[in-house]
Amino acid sequence: MSGGRLRRIVASARRLARQCRDVVARTSRIARWEVSRSAGTVDRKTVLALVVMALAIGTAGVSVSDSGLGLEREMYVAGVDEESRYYDVAVESEQFRAVPLDDIEADGGGDSTAETATIRGDANVDVVVTRDGRVGHVGDNGAAAYDAFRSAVEDYNAELMDDEADQAAAYPVLVSLEYQERDPDGSTDSGADDGNDAGSGDGTGGSTDGDGSATGGGGSSGTGDGDGRMQVPNVGDGGTSTSAGTPGSIAPPFPFESLVLAFLFVVPMNFVIQAYGSTIMDERVKRRGELLLVSPASRYEIVGGKTLPYLLGLVGIVAAITYAIEGGPIAVAATLPIALVFLAATFAGAMLARSFKELTFVTVTISVVLTTYTFIPAIFTDVNPIALISPLTLVVMDLQDESVRLGEYLFSTAPFYLSAVVLFLLGIGVYREEDMFAQKPIPTKVIDAIASRIHSRWSVPLLSVLFIPFVFAGQLLAVALLFAVPETVAVPVIIIIAAAIEEVAKSIHVYAGFARSRFDATLKTGVVLGVLSGAGFFVGEKITHIVQFVGLPELTVGAAAFGPAPSVSSEPVLYLAVLLAPLVLHVLTAVCSAIGASSGRNGYAIGFLVATLVHAGYNLGVLALVA
Amino acid sequence: MSRDRGRERESIQRGPNPPVRPDGGTESRSTWGARWAVARRELASLRSEKTIILALSIQLFIAAFSSFLVVGLVSLYDPGSVDGYQTEIAVTGDDTDTLLRVANGQDGVTAERYADRERAYDAFDDGSVSAVLDADRNPDGQLSVRAIVPEEGLRTTLLVVQIRNTLENVERVERQRNADDGRLERSPVPVPESIQASPYVGFTYTILLPLLCFLPVFISGSIVVDSLIEERQRGTLELLRVAPLSLAEIVDAKLVATAALAPLQAIAWFLLLAVNGTAIAAPVALVVLVAALSLLVVTVGVAVALWAPDRRQAQLLYSMATVGALVVATVLPEHPANTVAKFALGNPTAATWGLLAAYCLVAMGAFLALRRGIGGLEPDAL
Repeated sequence: MSGGRLRRIVASARRLARQCRDVVARTSRIARWEVSRSAGTVDRKTVLALVVMALAIGTAGVSVSDSGLGLEREMYVAGVDEESRYYDVAVESEQFRAVPLDDIEADGGGDSTAETATIRGDANVDVVVTRDGRVGHVGDNGAAAYDAFRSAVEDYNAELMDDEADQAAAYPVLVSLEYQERDPDGSTDSGADDGNDAGSGDGTGGSTDGDGSATGGGGSSGTGDGDGRMQVPNVGDGGTSTSAGTPGSIAPPFPFESLVLAFLFVVPMNFVIQAYGSTIMDERVKRRGELLLVSPASRYEIVGGKTLPYLLGLVGIVAAITYAIEGGPIAVAATLPIALVFLAATFAGAMLARSFKELTFVTVTISVVLTTYTFIPAIFTDVNPIALISPLTLVVMDLQDESVRLGEYLFSTAPFYLSAVVLFLLGIGVYREEDMFAQKPIPTKVIDAIASRIHSRWSVPLLSVLFIPFVFAGQLLAVALLFAVPETVAVPVIIIIAAAIEEVAKSIHVYAGFARSRFDATLKTGVVLGVLSGAGFFVGEKITHIVQFVGLPELTVGAAAFGPAPSVSSEPVLYLAVLLAPLVLHVLTAVCSAIGASSGRNGYAIGFLVATLVHAGYNLGVLALVA
Repeated sequence: MSRDRGRERESIQRGPNPPVRPDGGTESRSTWGARWAVARRELASLRSEKTIILALSIQLFIAAFSSFLVVGLVSLYDPGSVDGYQTEIAVTGDDTDTLLRVANGQDGVTAERYADRERAYDAFDDGSVSAVLDADRNPDGQLSVRAIVPEEGLRTTLLVVQIRNTLENVERVERQRNADDGRLERSPVPVPESIQASPYVGFTYTILLPLLCFLPVFISGSIVVDSLIEERQRGTLELLRVAPLSLAEIVDAKLVATAALAPLQAIAWFLLLAVNGTAIAAPVALVVLVAALSLLVVTVGVAVALWAPDRRQAQLLYSMATVGALVVATVLPEHPANTVAKFALGNPTAATWGLLAAYCLVAMGAFLALRRGIGGLEPDAL
């Protein structure tokens, strides 16, 4: 009996293996076609043109790297006489163009040593150096020009000083910068001791510094701690120090170089998605994709095969860049989800676009949004752990030789992996004849794509969870875009937008299910689906909170931004209320919009509006309660 | 949904009706009418797909985000731009007079002398001062300063910038003293007093404004490449040729329609900037510049679209060509972005005006050459 079962298991395993092999074979065949066809369309004259352009850019680029882009060249005008000591400053500085005072003065010269040199009305000048050596400014942009002139003087002085023989006199100040953790314990219990020891501190410090730094952490030996730090700067508690240099050479912690290098990883993606978008769109022109659709390969295999060469190409490029700039495997592992999201978003965009023009703008939008979304947080790598919302931060950390923990990797890449999967699945949902070759309006196609993912009632909460990464991304973008608007306008707008985004994520698939007749349009179904959707969203939200607390315990900002911490109260009833209030809210609003959705498009609009208002009201209430 | 479909059908009906030549009409007037129809069809397709809205929002997004970035970075590096930020610094060591005088003369910094090193470090540890400057004179007569700052992220960045400014001022004072003592061959030029000035002027005129001038140009070119390639690949260019127009005239109409979009967008951006308080000294010259560049780039786009075999290569060639042109333009006496900045600031030189004229001439030349080239093209070969 057990032998029979074993045989059955072996047989089914074999069947599974064969199916897997078939899938791999079909996918890789499509991938090979994709490569050979793309390579085939590149003709010789295009290659020649590209080579010529690359050469021209290369030669020009080399000359640029010497002289700079010259964007600021002579943007301001300085009125200064040749005799003035500031004349050389204006000539040497790239930003300034020097004109003689005679050209700009109203009465054409004489002794304009007066407080206000009279400037001719039509003279173009921003900064004026009077004959007695005072610097003034004219016009709207005069103040900014004056500021630039000041920096130009400093640069000029630095050059002057570099030529001096006596460098010690030219650079009379040396600075070494040390970053040190504060140690309040060590000082509170040692106030008196320090005073007593101060006299001998210099002499004995050298011998006690070892003990000092070893015991200082516990705060038991205040004097040792103090002495140790004073004599030996580098043995401080994990403090880092720079070697001594001039004041101009010290710089705040800012990973500039690593950031520029990290940007290199994103650049090739923008080019690859153009080609990838074209190849997907090509399938939809003149019904070319029909040939593949009628083949034995499934939609997943077709899309997988067409995507694989581009994904592998991107990974290859990223690996090559990593090798060239001496990054570690973490850099490749962190860039992979970014590449996947780029491709997935382009795929979904190419399935929805109606024309090449639209596709271009969709891909440009994807490029711009994703590049900023990944790049901007990475700037704050050293400043704030919230920077980890972008995988590019991991690249910057890797390039700075910081170690990346598994929790951090998961925290910053999981939303990207998830988004890529969702976007691919939605795109594959419309990878079928009736959507690919028809000129349907885009909203219809979106509804089609979502509806194709709904198989039963249990798909509803699952989709609610899967939409959560998009909700977070959308809310973050809204905050970033509205930062310039005055606060009195921005705060209510953000509250409403945040509520609306969450309500869309909880209701759009319910509406799609009703609109494509996946569910019976009854009140009861609406209530059930609403409860499922709201509960699913709540569970997803809580999962992200748990991930945050486990993966990034130091990230208090995240807790403040994404909801109140559940441990605010010791009272069990209140604790439960704080925990469950969001659940009630999500279910309630989801039911609102689900009931609306069951009665058609207008009903959905009304239900959605009510849900958004209720949600925004709740958020306002919470804000008022906390404040 | 049904409303959308209805609107689409309506726009199709308004589309390229091959106009029958009116009996009384002269030859030239009817081709002008047909050209106008082609141009209108081109613009209508942009409108019905809402592509133009997407294009505008992309530009707004880029402008908003680059400003966001710059404002963020400037306030990170320029503590003066953050109001009411006050730093307390402990100064200790053997030679603190200059340091104290300079630091207390600076906005936002209060320095206090601690005769005793230990006390200074204690004050640092319990947080009553933000940083410790430990200054000693070394045998060369240099002031050797050890700066201790806490590891606290954002605040440290501000602090380090403040300390750097303070120490640079100290360096200036000490250097002047050395110069007075005759230790330096050439005395440094006195640095003018600092004043309150907007730190964003440079960015606005040299980066943001050129970006807003060139993005519409780039987008127009991209639109024309897509539009022509699509007509070729879908085979609708053949249908268009039923119209009483030659191929050159059809291309003309498309070209002019898309090229005109860029200066219009530029005008919109200028107005937006003016409302936000950024004055533009020579808007007319700038609009002419954008129009000339737009004509040039769109002409190149048309040539690429007619020449390249499919969309992938056309877009690759086009984007390489435009990005490359921006790099290669550095060999010009003035980079186009620099030209934009000079016109906007009101400081154009003879070279600036000369380049503007040159761009206009080159654009017209390219346009005429393209017309001539299309005239010799066999339409069925496309």
